[in-house]
Amino acid sequence: MVHIVKRMRKLRELLWIRVGPGAIIFPKEVSKIRMEFSANIEGGHRGARKFWREMLPRIKYRNPALPIEISRHKDKLGPSILEVYTTVKAAAAAATPASTTPTPSAEAGAGATQDTLSASPEAPAHTIDLRMAQESEILAQLIARTGATVLKATAEEKEELAEIAEFKERSEKDRVEVREKLEAKRREEEMLRLARGEMVAAT
Amino acid sequence: MAQARPLLAPLSRLGVSSSSIPKSDIPRLTSLSYQTIRCATMKAKPTQQKKKKTRNTFIQYDLKRADQFSLVDAMHYIRAFEVGRNPSSSKYEMHVRVRTLKNGPVVRNRLRLPHAVKTDLRICVICPPGSKVAIEAKAAGASLVGEDEIFERVKEGVVEFDRCICHTDSLQKLNKAGVARILGPRGLMPSNKTGTVVTQVGTTVRNMVGGSEYRERLGVIRMAVGQLGFTPEEMQTNVKAFMDTLKKDIGQMSDRISKEIHEVVLSSTHSPGFTLNGEFRNANSVPTKDLSGPM
Repeated sequence: MVHIVKRMRKLRELLWIRVGPGAIIFPKEVSKIRMEFSANIEGGHRGARKFWREMLPRIKYRNPALPIEISRHKDKLGPSILEVYTTVKAAAAAATPASTTPTPSAEAGAGATQDTLSASPEAPAHTIDLRMAQESEILAQLIARTGATVLKATAEEKEELAEIAEFKERSEKDRVEVREKLEAKRREEEMLRLARGEMVAAT
Repeated sequence: MAQARPLLAPLSRLGVSSSSIPKSDIPRLTSLSYQTIRCATMKAKPTQQKKKKTRNTFIQYDLKRADQFSLVDAMHYIRAFEVGRNPSSSKYEMHVRVRTLKNGPVVRNRLRLPHAVKTDLRICVICPPGSKVAIEAKAAGASLVGEDEIFERVKEGVVEFDRCICHTDSLQKLNKAGVARILGPRGLMPSNKTGTVVTQVGTTVRNMVGGSEYRERLGVIRMAVGQLGFTPEEMQTNVKAFMDTLKKDIGQMSDRISKEIHEVVLSSTHSPGFTLNGEFRNANSVPTKDLSGPM
């Protein structure tokens, strides 16, 4: 089993899933989120993957009942989109008429309906194009479109985060120090070994 | 010196990195006495001379300061970590740490969870084809039943099953067939020790279809206990069933051996491990309904 100290440290760092970018709560009408992007970052899918790895856990933690689906394909020219489904689609569409057919993601959305199966029969309320987008941009767009509330870290949590950061910095310094010491020792041993070896060869 | 150099160079290139080939101006034997490295470990040397007593238990740690979670909380975190993963490929795992001897007997058993984790197990039953036992095995869900045909297939290198059990009457035939060389390394060879040589084939197969095995290794028992799509209630029954069987197993061992459960950890394929505190949920947990839906 992994050592207890290691595990507990990791659990302490669990804080990252509670606070930080992505700690948002969606309004009630958001019923599902679906992402689709390539398994490879080539072709502008990097931001999408980063978003999934770093921010989706926070979103899922804050919205545990919200189904989040991800499908990854092999085609680098394939769709790279994030779709938000809502229960009251008509109301949402009326509220944000511009976002249902955003100009940049029009062709991406069309591609999605063509070659991939949309999971639910109704069309998504919002579609965000993820191609060439940074993960922070994706999050900003998502918040703007759905009107999600962003949770701020409390003072204690900030303090704890700072503590963890400081700890990490210190451990990096220690690591360098120890490595230097170890390397010096190895060098010495090596020199000694060579000296002895040479002496044997000389006699 | 001139002779030594060509002899030495290839050797050192073999053994260590080539950067350490000595330059001719290395001061040999001159300043060796000052080359000791000053660090704390050197001071402790005299005490190290005493031979260390070998311990025969695993190092235990205090759980007082550890963060512990209720089942629902742990599942809440785990589901967040597993976001977007394929729910059928990621699994919940249990790790149970026991206080035990290093060289003592180990817990090892098989159990059938109330909610099966793995359902597509292929089972091979070795018994005379066409007999009553064979029919029974087929009915219970075995995918392969037979004797000589299976031996032939296995010898050709075709092993199309994940578990293999043998009827007591066919054991001799199995041992003579010479398939142990192929099945043995894969852990498929039936033997009395693993409980895969049985008389009541039907019940064993039935238990195996939804069953999973566990054993203690280095003081820890690990087992997959659930699929990611399970609800907290399903997980609760599964965890309970697992722990009950485990406790019963430990209780059945001889009196001289003391084994106690020290720590129970729940993790999943992509998440860190969460130490469980034995409660289902606490006051601040999210409602279980939230964790029951699809991922």
